Amino acid sequence: MAKTLPELKRLERRDLDVLLSYDNEQNLVVTYDDIKHACPCAKCAPQRNDDESSKYLRREIEAMSPEKPKVKTVGKYALSFEWINGCSSGIYRFERIWALANKLDPDDGKSYVHGAW
Amino acid sequence: MFHIGMAEQPVSIHDPKANDSKEPNASPQQQKQMEQAYAQMKRKMAMQEIGRKIKHKIMVLSGKGGVGKSTVSTGLALSLAQQGHSVGILDIDITGPNVPKMMGLDGQRLHVEEGRIHPAQGHLGVKVISMAFLLEDEDTPVVWRGPIKLGAIQQFIGDVEWGELDYLVIDFPPGTSDEPLTVAQSLPDIDGMVIVTTPQDVALLDSRKSITFSESLKVPVLGVVENMSGYTIRGKTTSNSEVTIAGPGGKSHKASSDEDGNFSVTLDIFKEGGGKDTAEEFGVPFLGALPFDPGFVRGGDDGVHRIVSDPDGESAKAFSKVVDSIVEQISESPGEGLEIV
Repeated sequence: MAKTLPELKRLERRDLDVLLSYDNEQNLVVTYDDIKHACPCAKCAPQRNDDESSKYLRREIEAMSPEKPKVKTVGKYALSFEWINGCSSGIYRFERIWALANKLDPDDGKSYVHGAW
Repeated sequence: MFHIGMAEQPVSIHDPKANDSKEPNASPQQQKQMEQAYAQMKRKMAMQEIGRKIKHKIMVLSGKGGVGKSTVSTGLALSLAQQGHSVGILDIDITGPNVPKMMGLDGQRLHVEEGRIHPAQGHLGVKVISMAFLLEDEDTPVVWRGPIKLGAIQQFIGDVEWGELDYLVIDFPPGTSDEPLTVAQSLPDIDGMVIVTTPQDVALLDSRKSITFSESLKVPVLGVVENMSGYTIRGKTTSNSEVTIAGPGGKSHKASSDEDGNFSVTLDIFKEGGGKDTAEEFGVPFLGALPFDPGFVRGGDDGVHRIVSDPDGESAKAFSKVVDSIVEQISESPGEGLEIV
C-alpha cells in the first residue's frame, strides 16, 4: 500500500476541511468531521465497530463548533491533528489520510481489536 | 538508603526541606499527605526538567518475550554512543532486569547524593539505571502489583540525575501493560517507539499489537526491527566451486566460493522478511534486520556486548544501520517536503 501511494506535498487548512495536494497532481478534500470520525486511537476506533455507535460518534462530532486544528507531522509517515474540541490522540498514517480523501473506508472494513490495554 | 519491599516508594529519599512546609498543628496523617504531595510535585518538576535535558527519548518494546529486546536496547545505546552521542539506558523491566549484566555492570550499586540517584556507567560511557541495581541478589524475584511498579518507574524517571543526554533508550518488559503507559504519561516529548520482533508469526502478531498500542499512547512508531533475522555461515573450500549446505528443515542452500575459496551462506533460522512485511502492512518504517549472532549470547553472559567486543563486525554494522534509520526518523525536519498552511 505504501509503495503505490502518491506523496502528499501540501495540506491547506480551510474553514471546514483540508485541501490536500499530491505529487500526482490530484487535489483532494477531507472535511474535519470526517477526520475526527476516523480517529484511529483506542478510545475512538471501537466506537466505529458497529453502525449505531458509529452514528452516535458522528452526531457528537457534528454538534461540536467548527475549528481549524493544528496539524503536525509524525515522523515521516503520519499526521496528528490537535483540536480544541474532540480527540487529539490519533496518529493518522498517510495511507489513512489518502483513504479518507478518496472516500474509502480508512479501517478497511476491519473492526478495531482491542490489543492495547 | 534503598529498601526493597511492598511499599509505594521503593527507593526512600528523605528531604529535610519537606519539614519546612508542615503546618504546626497538622496531624501525623496530614503531615504524611503533605510530604507525599510535596515529593510528587518535586518529582513532576524533575520529570519536566529531565524532558528538557534529554534531547531524544526512544522506547524499545516488543509484543512477545524472548525476541532480544534488551539486546537490541543495549545495542542501540552502544551504537549511538559509538557515533559520539551521550546516551543513557533506563531498564524498566522491573521483574527481569538484564541490561546491567549485558553492560558489564553486574553487582554494581547506585550512588545517591542529595536525594538524587546517579546512574552507573557502562561501556562507552553509557549511563544505566535498572532495577537490578537495587536487588539484594539476582535470584530475588520482584513481586509487585501495578501501583508499586508505577511508583518505582516514576522514581526511576523523576529522581535520577541523568545530566545532559543526546539519547535515552528505555527498555521495557514484553507486552503492552503498565510500564510503557506510565512512562509515556510521565516523560514528556518521547520521540517514539522501536518495535522489536523476530520473523515467526507469533512474534509478528504481537508486534502488531505493539504498533496499535503506540497509537493509543500517541507515541509515534519509529519503526520495526527484525532481530535474529538470518545466520551466516562462512567457510573455505576450493576456489570457484559450488558448496551445498543442509539448512533448517532439511532445506539445501547453495553457495559459490570466490577465487580464494571463501564462501558464505545465510540461513533463515526462523523465516525471512516478516518484520518488513509487518512494517509495510502498518505503514510504519522498517528500520532493518539484525543477524542471528551467537556472539550476543556470549557477550551478554560475559558482560561485553558484541558491539564492544567486535565494533567492526557484521552485527555492529547492522546496528549502525538501524541507528541511522532511527536518527533519520527523529531528525529535526520530519515530513520533509510537506507544506502545511
